[in-house]
Amino acid sequence: MQVGRLCSALLASTVLVAPAAAQDNMDKLTNMQKTDATFTFVEQDGERAQALKAILEHINVPDGFEVSLYAVVPDARSMAVAPQGTVVFAGTRKDKVWSIVDRDRDRVADEVKDFAPSVTFDIPNGPCFSRDGFLFIAERNRVLNFPAAEFFFEGPDPAVAVVVPQGELIPVEEESFNHTARVCDVGPDGKLYISLGQPYNVQPLEKIEMYDEIGIGGIIRMNTDGTGREVYTRGIRNSVGQDFHPETGELWWTDNQVDGMGDDIPPGELNRQTAAGQHFGFPWTNAGVEIVSEADFPRPEGVEFIEPQLELTAHAADLGMSFYKGASFPEEYQGGIFWAQHGSWNRTTPVGARVMFTALDPETGDATGAQVFADGWLDEETGEYRGRPMDVAFLKDGSMLISDDFAGAIWRIAYNPAPSE
Amino acid sequence: MRRGLILALGGLMLAGHGPALAGDPEAGRKIAVMCRTCHGIDGYAQIPIAPHIGGEPKEYLETQLMAFKTGAREHEMMTVVTAGLSAEQISDVAAWYASHSATATLPDGVTAADAPPACVSCHGADGISVLLNAPNLAGEVNIYIDTQLKAYRVGKRKHAIMSEIARDLTDQEIRDFANWYADVKLEITPPQ
Repeated sequence: MQVGRLCSALLASTVLVAPAAAQDNMDKLTNMQKTDATFTFVEQDGERAQALKAILEHINVPDGFEVSLYAVVPDARSMAVAPQGTVVFAGTRKDKVWSIVDRDRDRVADEVKDFAPSVTFDIPNGPCFSRDGFLFIAERNRVLNFPAAEFFFEGPDPAVAVVVPQGELIPVEEESFNHTARVCDVGPDGKLYISLGQPYNVQPLEKIEMYDEIGIGGIIRMNTDGTGREVYTRGIRNSVGQDFHPETGELWWTDNQVDGMGDDIPPGELNRQTAAGQHFGFPWTNAGVEIVSEADFPRPEGVEFIEPQLELTAHAADLGMSFYKGASFPEEYQGGIFWAQHGSWNRTTPVGARVMFTALDPETGDATGAQVFADGWLDEETGEYRGRPMDVAFLKDGSMLISDDFAGAIWRIAYNPAPSE
Repeated sequence: MRRGLILALGGLMLAGHGPALAGDPEAGRKIAVMCRTCHGIDGYAQIPIAPHIGGEPKEYLETQLMAFKTGAREHEMMTVVTAGLSAEQISDVAAWYASHSATATLPDGVTAADAPPACVSCHGADGISVLLNAPNLAGEVNIYIDTQLKAYRVGKRKHAIMSEIARDLTDQEIRDFANWYADVKLEITPPQ
């Protein structure tokens, strides 16, 4: 409700004070006018779908689970399932956000088309929903808000409000292509949480303080109208996956580790944040491995570095993550965390391209240990990828969607126990 | 004015830049195993952030790899990759990718005359380079070209010609130029 009011107010004020520079169609859209934009549809039944289905035989899932092709979606990255469950939005590291619709609820998408073709997107990797149906899209250097996107996606000119104007998420001099795939979530406090990767392998010493102040190499939060911005998480290298614990409201997130130190260090990270402002060590430490020494640059005063919950296979690229809040998976998965490992790019023997899982200890709430849930997207013999899982999300029936920006697909894993004989 | 300057500078570049080493494509193919996850073994990029490099001029590839190695150009991944390569290995891997051929096809409904005038004298109307030290742009992801032009515009990436061209471009012009080349269909053919 509160978010709704804020957004209505924001829309009203945007109509009154239209921005002076017309970069694209933003002026028209914020004034709820039509443009001449048209949709791009992605064919779901053609050769591409057949080629993707041929990958399925290589995918391993635990007993009782089934994997299938949900949709053909080029460059599919982070996903957001709309509150009504009819449509899933997937970002890309290009210029498209895809809407993926399963109208007949047969758990195979019937229609995939670009969302808001009237908007010129710039690395719109991260879509996320508020509980009352506002779709936020975090781009390289802008954040937009699409009210009732679940209904307005049917037309090319959905209503839009600007949360963070172009060039104000980070300084334009710090823009890069790599480490610029934002993810976002609306927290239990109704605020918008956005990860900001730092663009280097390890940032130069002279940028450490500036980045820390802005929240580059961190997670920022703000009100959904863009006000009240603050740095929520410090000391991250490049996080591309986060989710809130459904009961405690704590923010958990993955991180990607330093390259060039060797095949097996530093380990990947899954992190648990219990309070605002906590520091997780980067660039001084990366999963306990020293990167920048105290002699090179003094550690910030008055902070204790939080150690990761889990140390994961080095360079496997732990990305999108989600708590399991559904009901259809077996008991052992309830309340645990699933995440995607995108796969390594510079390890002598490639690793990753799989979906991981950890349960949480019921006493402490800590992660108990990583296990492989689904794999086979990496051809172990040739070292070549068949696909690269990037994010996990869940449909209302509790089944899992896995985005794959290499194969250009969204896969689905459902629990379908065989009938007892 | 601007076009004259480009042509003059382009001429200088062409005259002043010769390959340092011959480069062995077969040796380079083995090194390219390091590159393939992002750029493909044939140089057709596998991820949006990486450019297509198959059929690129060897001189361009070698110059860029050396620039990453020496720190003249910085990139989170390429700086790490090139740190472990010798000048000879760089020459070899550049030779491997250069031994491929790149062909470009304009999309329906446009002609070469519609190409962005600021770009064509070096990168060609179809995005196949006409200079030894300019990259092909055909079929690159628009955000890749967009990112590079903005890097030149703010001075993060520097080049005698490109810094000058990018300096006064608007975001919209940058995206229009990027879209022009992104819409070209690129095919890369391995050496026979």
